[in-house]
This record gives sequence, structure tokens and C-alpha cells, in this order.
Amino acid sequence: MEDQAYSSLVEIAVNYGVPISTVTLILVLPIVVTIITFFRQIVGIKAFGIYTPAMVTFAFSGIGLQAGNLSKGVKYGTAIFVMVILVGTLSRILMKKFRLLYLPRMAIVITLVSFATLGVLIAGGAKNRTGLAEVSIFPILIMITLVEKFVATQIEKSSRTAIILSTETLIISIISYYIISWQPLLSFVKQYPIIILLTIFVNIFLGRWTGLRLIEYFRFKDLINGKNAPKK
Amino acid sequence: MLPKSKDILGMNARNLIYIRPNNLKSAKRLADDKLRCKRVLKKARVPVPRLIKSIKTQEDLDNFDFSTLPNSFVLKPNFGFGGEGILVVYGRKKGNENIWVKANRSQVTEQHLRTHVKNILDGSFSRTGTSDIAFFEERIRLYPGFKPYAFRGVPDIRVIVYNRVPVMAMIRIPTEVSGGTSNLHRGGIGVGIDMATGVTTTAIQYDRVVEKSPNGLLLSGIKIPQWKEILELAIKAQDVSRLGYLGADIAIDRENGPVFMELNARPGLSIQVANQEGLLARLNRVEGLKIKTVRRGVALSRNLFGGEIEDEIEGLSGKRIIGTVEKIKIIGRNKKEITVEAKIDTGAGFTSLGLELAKELGFINTIIAYETIYSEQGGWDKLKKLSTKERSLLFKKVPYLIDTAIIHSSHGTTYRPVVKVKVVMDKKTIPARVTIISREHLKYPAIIGRRNLKRFLVEVK
Repeated sequence: MEDQAYSSLVEIAVNYGVPISTVTLILVLPIVVTIITFFRQIVGIKAFGIYTPAMVTFAFSGIGLQAGNLSKGVKYGTAIFVMVILVGTLSRILMKKFRLLYLPRMAIVITLVSFATLGVLIAGGAKNRTGLAEVSIFPILIMITLVEKFVATQIEKSSRTAIILSTETLIISIISYYIISWQPLLSFVKQYPIIILLTIFVNIFLGRWTGLRLIEYFRFKDLINGKNAPKK
Repeated sequence: MLPKSKDILGMNARNLIYIRPNNLKSAKRLADDKLRCKRVLKKARVPVPRLIKSIKTQEDLDNFDFSTLPNSFVLKPNFGFGGEGILVVYGRKKGNENIWVKANRSQVTEQHLRTHVKNILDGSFSRTGTSDIAFFEERIRLYPGFKPYAFRGVPDIRVIVYNRVPVMAMIRIPTEVSGGTSNLHRGGIGVGIDMATGVTTTAIQYDRVVEKSPNGLLLSGIKIPQWKEILELAIKAQDVSRLGYLGADIAIDRENGPVFMELNARPGLSIQVANQEGLLARLNRVEGLKIKTVRRGVALSRNLFGGEIEDEIEGLSGKRIIGTVEKIKIIGRNKKEITVEAKIDTGAGFTSLGLELAKELGFINTIIAYETIYSEQGGWDKLKKLSTKERSLLFKKVPYLIDTAIIHSSHGTTYRPVVKVKVVMDKKTIPARVTIISREHLKYPAIIGRRNLKRFLVEVK
């Protein structure tokens, strides 16, 4: 990595004291959000909007860096993700009986999730999985805030939708995480950061795409095949 | 691309082509504001559920006397969506002023209602999460015809209106899994509706085709009452709301008939599965049309999108549909069968056969004998002076002739022999008395007239 060629833009940033890891993160963010838009517009995977999957991707990336291992990022990240969703659901079910207003109820849910997270970290440390115990606060906070999205969806839509959207978020985040951890790509963006602006054109294309999404071919497959068409 | 996929409206196209340019922000805001909708629609003489009381602030709530509420009502959040936060109360508990009963027989106390109103005011159910208004309105009473199908709730009819034409419709039926709401994503059943007749077609639950309701009733063939009025209401609502692409939700009250429930600026796509047809194809057909009146919009919709009307009429009258030109079989003398293309002509009374065809069917001797007598008598100009009885005596000896007929047509009046054959049309055999045409040139060797079309309906293309 040391003898990697940086573009002058990245050089300037680094010389002014911006950490190279921060520069890289900022440069791959447009790629991550473009991947997420692609999944939404072309594939039809919704996830929790654009912000949450992007953040979860970076949480994975943060955990992976800490653990010094690509697959550990996914492993620990998914573990925390699933735990947050599980505890979030459980505490929401518990809260139901109390008939509380929305914000206080959410505050209690987050409190319980926080403690559960601490428990997982301690358990990780106890089992000598130092990678898990030493995860920095940034990815953990992201994961905890995920619970609000999740619980809000449970209330507004349904638990089913919330679970589907969480799973979709997890899938998109893992895919994005692997893409942005790919060394040749990272070297490339540091060398030619301007190329990142091309994602704007990709998004203009995606924003004007009116074709059926991939999952809509499945949703409407009987219609397309005319399987249940009324007999004439 | 699969062949039929271009007819289907997907999420991308719905948002970009239909919602974005047609549903302006101000119109969408109106759709989301249930109380304003109510006012605006009422002003335009669209029937809506009566407002009992709206509660805007904590102060309103503190000052509200719950005992003034009627026995049955609905409590709704003004900016709610997806049917969230709606509380339906069916009756008061006997002998108790401030305890009501829900559809599932659970009790609702004044305290329950207060907490619910407070949650609404705090924005727990609003689209944006900001503070909201709660209101009580009259409860729609279930139309008896829908009673067997609906579980603890009232079905509503969703009509998609575009360019003042109702393009597709379905009825949404609450089920046990949907908890008495008619939202499809919660497990309500959607049943497609034939636009011409208002009769239901295919049913779906969770986007999959089902035939029967959970309690085993067939879901197709349900007749929606006051169908024309429902379509009219939907168009009127579009005019008032200025939502160019509108999902109109209309319920039917036992006494008041169709009542407008809600405007929807982002109607879902499942309606296509319920109708087993793509929306995009239908939307394209009404694009750019100038629809001057509500009635015109209704008529156009019923004509364009009444796909099942053929089956429907066959089912009702036992009549079959045929085109204006049909391949038919004629059985003549000695069971001689000939298949020809015939013109189906409801303007003609008699069925007529051309000379050549009649000869082939074994009536050659009939024709020769008839023609001989006809010319001997000096043609129609002379024959018309005789009485019917005198004429029939003259032709009595012609073989296989059963009658003669005077035919008035645009070509003038002709006198023709009548013979007996059998006509096989659309797998039905009809005994027919047919005339033989000798002096006119015929485009089709046979013309089927009204007398033999009693069991058919002719579709004019």
C-alpha cells in the first residue's frame, strides 16, 4: 500500500492531514450508494432506504478493519446486526403491554439493545474473540440506530415487512462491503478519484429507468405467462 | 423481455411516468389530509362518511366529552396511512356510558380512547411522524351482499382513474389475517372487477391467485351494486383532487350506497394481479383522450375494459357470441354437408343461400322447376298481382319447395323459393327455412338472417 500512486487531489488531502482511510471512505461512498440504487431500481431490493444500508456497509468495513480480516467483518457484523434485530423485536413485544408513547417506547427499546450489545461484546472477549470485543464505537452505534428503523417499520408496516427489509439491508450491505473491500478498486479510486463522478451518470440512467424490476418479473410471473388468464 | 411484460406497470414506471408528472405536490398533500379531503369532496357533492368530531390539540382532548360519541364510530389519524392507527367501534356496552365494544368483542374504555387520541396527536401514525389531528367519523355499515365474504370490516372498492377514465378496479375484502382491514399487504383479499359489468373476476391474497374466501365462498361472479355510480364517483374525485393518477377508495354503505373513503396518490400494483391484466397496456389506451364529461369517462371505461363481458352475457342468457363473418356448415338434401363462410346479417330477416350453393346442396331440381314457372308467369311484375293463395297454388308442384317469400331489400323486391336445410353454427345445429337467391351477385355464398340468430349475439368489430 505504501508505494501506491495517489492522484494529486488525494495527495493534497493527505498532506493537509486528512487520514488516508477517511479519504478512501469518502471516495467509496458514492460507489456504495450507487450499488444501493442499482439494487433498488433494477433488482427491486428495497432495504431501509439508502442511508441505513450505506451505514451498515461502513460498519462492516469498520469491524473488518479492526479484526484485520475480511470475512470476520461479515461474521461479527452479521452477529451484531441479527442480535440488534432480535432484541429490538423482543423488547417491542414487551413494550406493547405498557401502552407508551412512541419516543419513550423507542428510548426503552434502544436502552435494552445497548445492554444486549454490551453483553455480546463481553461474550466475545470471554471467548477470546478479541476482534469482536475490540470493535470501535462507530460501527456499534450504527448498528444500534438500526433498531429505530426496524421498529418504526414494524409499527408502520408489519413485522413481516420489517424482517424482509432487514434481510435485504443485510444482503445489500454484505455485497457492498465485499465490493468496497476489493483492493484493486480501492487503489483505483485513490489514483483516479475524478472517475467517481461517473456514478452521477449511472444514477441519471437509473433514475430514468422505467422497465420492470427483476423481482417484479417474479411477482407478476403468472401475469406474464398468462397462467391464470381468464378463459376466453 | 418476455412477451407480456411490456403491458405490466412496474414500480419504476408508476413513479416516473404516472405519479411524478400527474400527481403534483399540492394534490398529494390533499390526498394525505383526510379531513380536508372530506371537506373538498363534500363540496363537490361526493358522499363521504360524516365527521363527528376532530381533535387538534391536547386542549381539545381535555375538553372533549366522550359520552357525546355515538354508539358506533371510527377514530382515525388525519395523516395516517396504510390503515394504521384506525380504531373501529361497533357499539356501546349496555348500561355503561363510556365503554364501547370493538369488532372482536374486546372492550374500549374512555381511557383507551384518550391514549389512542394522544398517540395520534403525537404523530405515532402519521406519515411524517410529526404531530397530527385525530377525528371521529361515522362508521360505514356493511352492505348485506358483502356480509358473507367480509371478516369484521367493510370491503372497499379501489378504482384506478387516469385521464378521467377508470382503467382498472378491484374490491378489497378484509380477512381474519388482515385483522379486519382491507389492506392487501396485511393479507386482505383483492378481487378484480370487470369494468363493464361490475362483476368480480379473479381473486388474490398476498399476490397469489385464490379461488375461494377463507370460509369457502367462491369469490368470482360477485355483483358490485351501483357500479355505474361508483365509477362516476371515482372520476368526480379525480376532478376535485387533481390527482392525474388516482387510486379512489369507495365503500358501500348499507343505507347510503357508495361512499367515498379515501384518495390515494400512490396506488399499489397488485390490482394487476387481481385483474390478471397489465395496467400499462390499459393506461396507454386512454392516454391523450379528451374526456369531456363524467358519463363519457364511465362509458369509455366500460367499453374498453369490459374484457369478460362475453362470458358474462353467455352465462346470463345462454347466448353465444359470433362475429359478422363465420364459418358455418349447411346440411342439405340427403345429408349433403357443405362448409362455407357466411355473412351474419342482422339486417336480413331470412337466411339466404346463393344459387350455386343451393344447387350443390341438392336443390337443383327445385331451382329449375321454380324458374320455369316463374318465367312462364311473366316474372314478379305479373306474379305480384295475384293473391298469396293463388301464388302458392302455382308453385305447389315444385319439388322440395316448402314456401315462397317476398323479400324487400335495397335492390328492390324479389320473389324467392324457400327450402328447408340445417345450419350448423358454433357447434349448434339449427333447422332453417332459407331462401335461394338467383339474380343477385353475392360476396358470401350464404347470408344468415335474424330468424336463425335467436341463440346468438353478434359482435360487431
